[in-house]
Amino acid sequence: MRQKLLNGLAGIVVALLIGAVVMLVQGYNPVETYLALFNYSLGSGYAFATMLKNSVPLILTGLSAAVAFGSGAINLGQPGQLLMGALAATVAGLYLDLPPAVMIPTLLIAAALGGMAWSGVAALMRRWFNMDEFITTLMLNMIADFFTYWAISYPFFDKGANSPMTPPISRAGWMPEIGRFNTSVLVMLLAFIVTWFISTRTTAGYEWRISGQNSLFARLGGVNTSKNYMLVMLMTGVLAGLAGGLIVMAGPHRFIKDIGANYAWDGVMVAMVANNGIIATLLYGLFFATLQTGALGMELITAVPRELIMVLQAIVLLVVMAGRSYFDIIANKLAERQKTRERVA
Amino acid sequence: MGNLIEMRNIVKVFPPSVVALDDVTVDFEEGEIHAIVGENGAGKSTLMKILYGLESATSGEIYHKGRRLNIRSTKEAIASGIGMVHQEIMLVPEYTVWQNVVLGMEPVNWFGRIDEKRARQQVQERIDEYHFNLDPDALVSDISVAARQKVEILKLLYRNVLTLILDEPTSVLTPQEIPRLFDELRRLRDSGHTILFISHHLDEVLELSDRITVLRRGKKIGTVQADQTSKEELAQMMVGREVLFTSLKQPCKPGRTVFELTDLSYTDPEGRKRLDGVNIHVRAHETVGIAGVEGNGQLELVNAIMGLLPIQEGRLVVDGQDLTHADILTRRGKISFVSQDRGRMSASLPASIKENVLMTHHRQGRFTKLMGLVLNNREAAAFAEEVREQFAVHMDGADAPFSSLSGGNQQKVILGRELLLNTPFVLLDQPTRGLDVGSIEYVHRQILAMREAGRAVLLISADLGELFRITDRILVLSRGRIVADLVTDETDINEVGYLMLEGKRNETEAA
Repeated sequence: MRQKLLNGLAGIVVALLIGAVVMLVQGYNPVETYLALFNYSLGSGYAFATMLKNSVPLILTGLSAAVAFGSGAINLGQPGQLLMGALAATVAGLYLDLPPAVMIPTLLIAAALGGMAWSGVAALMRRWFNMDEFITTLMLNMIADFFTYWAISYPFFDKGANSPMTPPISRAGWMPEIGRFNTSVLVMLLAFIVTWFISTRTTAGYEWRISGQNSLFARLGGVNTSKNYMLVMLMTGVLAGLAGGLIVMAGPHRFIKDIGANYAWDGVMVAMVANNGIIATLLYGLFFATLQTGALGMELITAVPRELIMVLQAIVLLVVMAGRSYFDIIANKLAERQKTRERVA
Repeated sequence: MGNLIEMRNIVKVFPPSVVALDDVTVDFEEGEIHAIVGENGAGKSTLMKILYGLESATSGEIYHKGRRLNIRSTKEAIASGIGMVHQEIMLVPEYTVWQNVVLGMEPVNWFGRIDEKRARQQVQERIDEYHFNLDPDALVSDISVAARQKVEILKLLYRNVLTLILDEPTSVLTPQEIPRLFDELRRLRDSGHTILFISHHLDEVLELSDRITVLRRGKKIGTVQADQTSKEELAQMMVGREVLFTSLKQPCKPGRTVFELTDLSYTDPEGRKRLDGVNIHVRAHETVGIAGVEGNGQLELVNAIMGLLPIQEGRLVVDGQDLTHADILTRRGKISFVSQDRGRMSASLPASIKENVLMTHHRQGRFTKLMGLVLNNREAAAFAEEVREQFAVHMDGADAPFSSLSGGNQQKVILGRELLLNTPFVLLDQPTRGLDVGSIEYVHRQILAMREAGRAVLLISADLGELFRITDRILVLSRGRIVADLVTDETDINEVGYLMLEGKRNETEAA
């Protein structure tokens, strides 16, 4: 655990240094840039609140990917599941008007069901036609993309708008703010705790993990791998769907074109950097959200373009993933030398 | 001196801290057959791989004819006349024998094309020279495993290798093929070759070799003349204590029939009949062995019993329950199973030891709370400790990854998990494959203890010695059919070996 934390921190530091070199080469001042970056994401209560809000879809889709990959289900459908969740929550929010205490959970459930339905389609295609979810989830992303685009352009189009979007959802469905902080973060944390508990403490989580490592062993041990696969797909769909619902309910309160942005793919990246660890996904999700939130400030204060953050993210990904095995190799080499000295002396 | 090769003070550390070879000094003379024996993990293969350039020593020196060798690759080893035949045979099955032999150093004609005629002729010459009885034009995919092994040796001879290293060459052969290989190896020695061979079959070692070096846990215990030692002495050197080779069986009176497999047939998707009317009955207090050359239906038999392969024809009843079409979890209520491939079928290597012992048990109530939904971590840890204690597992802690255990300890953990399932029937598929003598003995004792406890045991094994040592009956499986049902005490290795190869009794002998 401590080892992993150290590896992660070292990876981040190395990545930031490489980023600094990139900036120097381009003629920017790295110290100034990083100061602006972190100032605009962590430097004030408002910045911090914004960062947390931005982290919600990142972490939820990250958890979705981490649970799926760790269980051997290559669910790459987070973008589509997120959009379908967002659409489901929006539609429910347009037609229902209940007191907030009922409305908010209802919309969250709608979002979860939306995402679950979409990953469920992929799971059923695997079950009935033996189609690889790796392909089907990617294809379903496209369908979700254009389906939601159509939905907000025609049936749910806001007549007063001049670009594709829905009217705002009922006020009761807006995620309330506590001071500067949006409560969508609390929902995300709750989802995180539930996911962590399922993965590490329950029989199902145990079976998922073992199936992901060696599915033949799990099968021979009596694990119903196809049922577990179904559950994993549905659960990871729920997480991605929730991400979509929370974007709508916390932010623009309506479905705007491109609302999913790059959140889901960044979430997949977070899961990969985190090596499918649940806690690590939370931590890296917060870090990536910090980078992305600070990017705006960085662009404002210094002349460094926002795109540099994408470069930085990619470097973190590469350095941390490469570092994972490299630190072990170095540690092993040192131990080997030590042992040999003992023997020969 | 006749010392051809000297390996001095060889140390090999596998990161992070496994000492595979601990200051080993050994010499090999020109024109001798020198056996390297030791338990699994003793360092035999590592020592030979260092000589062949597959591994590099952490420290130590190698001398060849008094000259210091610095072998960093197999190419350099072969240039010094040192070659190795691996346990797994690596040939191109679609090529003929001669094509495989010349592959990589083909004689070419003026236009840079392979001179097939000359190549074929050169290979034929070698075959004749060493009386190898091989057809150079046969496709490798059509010839027997024993013949493929000869092709591997021929490849090295073709490259003018004078020191041949053979890694467990007999493990892939049938009892009838082994003497032939030994004759060929002796002939090679007599023509001036030096042969180093790794084995843990002591009978073979004593029969074939001139000198024997024993390794134990990375240390050299000693080198002895083969004609001045005994099996018991070697075993003691290897294990560090006395090992019994006699049958361990106590007479046991079989009870009711526990395992009934009736008329099982299976045709694979290509239309080949893999199992043909197989009948197996095992009673309580009885161990039944299945002998057979690998690939004669064992895999399909195991998969059908375990539920990986749907049963097309036939019926499976265990302990009075019809399991013919039952799901795997239901089967596991009656069947304990130890597979031949630990890392693929019996364990998850990256998972912790605790997570590995929990498998299947986690569906049986004791390790879960709240209607089986939540794992009971404390009980699980206690259970891992129970397995460690009861099965004498050497491990750091139950949270260490399963892959950190040695092969023998991995098998102990698996056995422990399966035996503690307390099922009436136990299926063992080559449970001692790749284990060292000490661990094999341990596994055998456990199997006999199960039999005494009234379980029905079905043991599939390619090791006839093992079958004779612990079974009550031996069934011979050949081309998917049970061709003989023999009482172990009333048959012998030769009869079983013949049945394995020919699929029928030796009529001339019987007459």
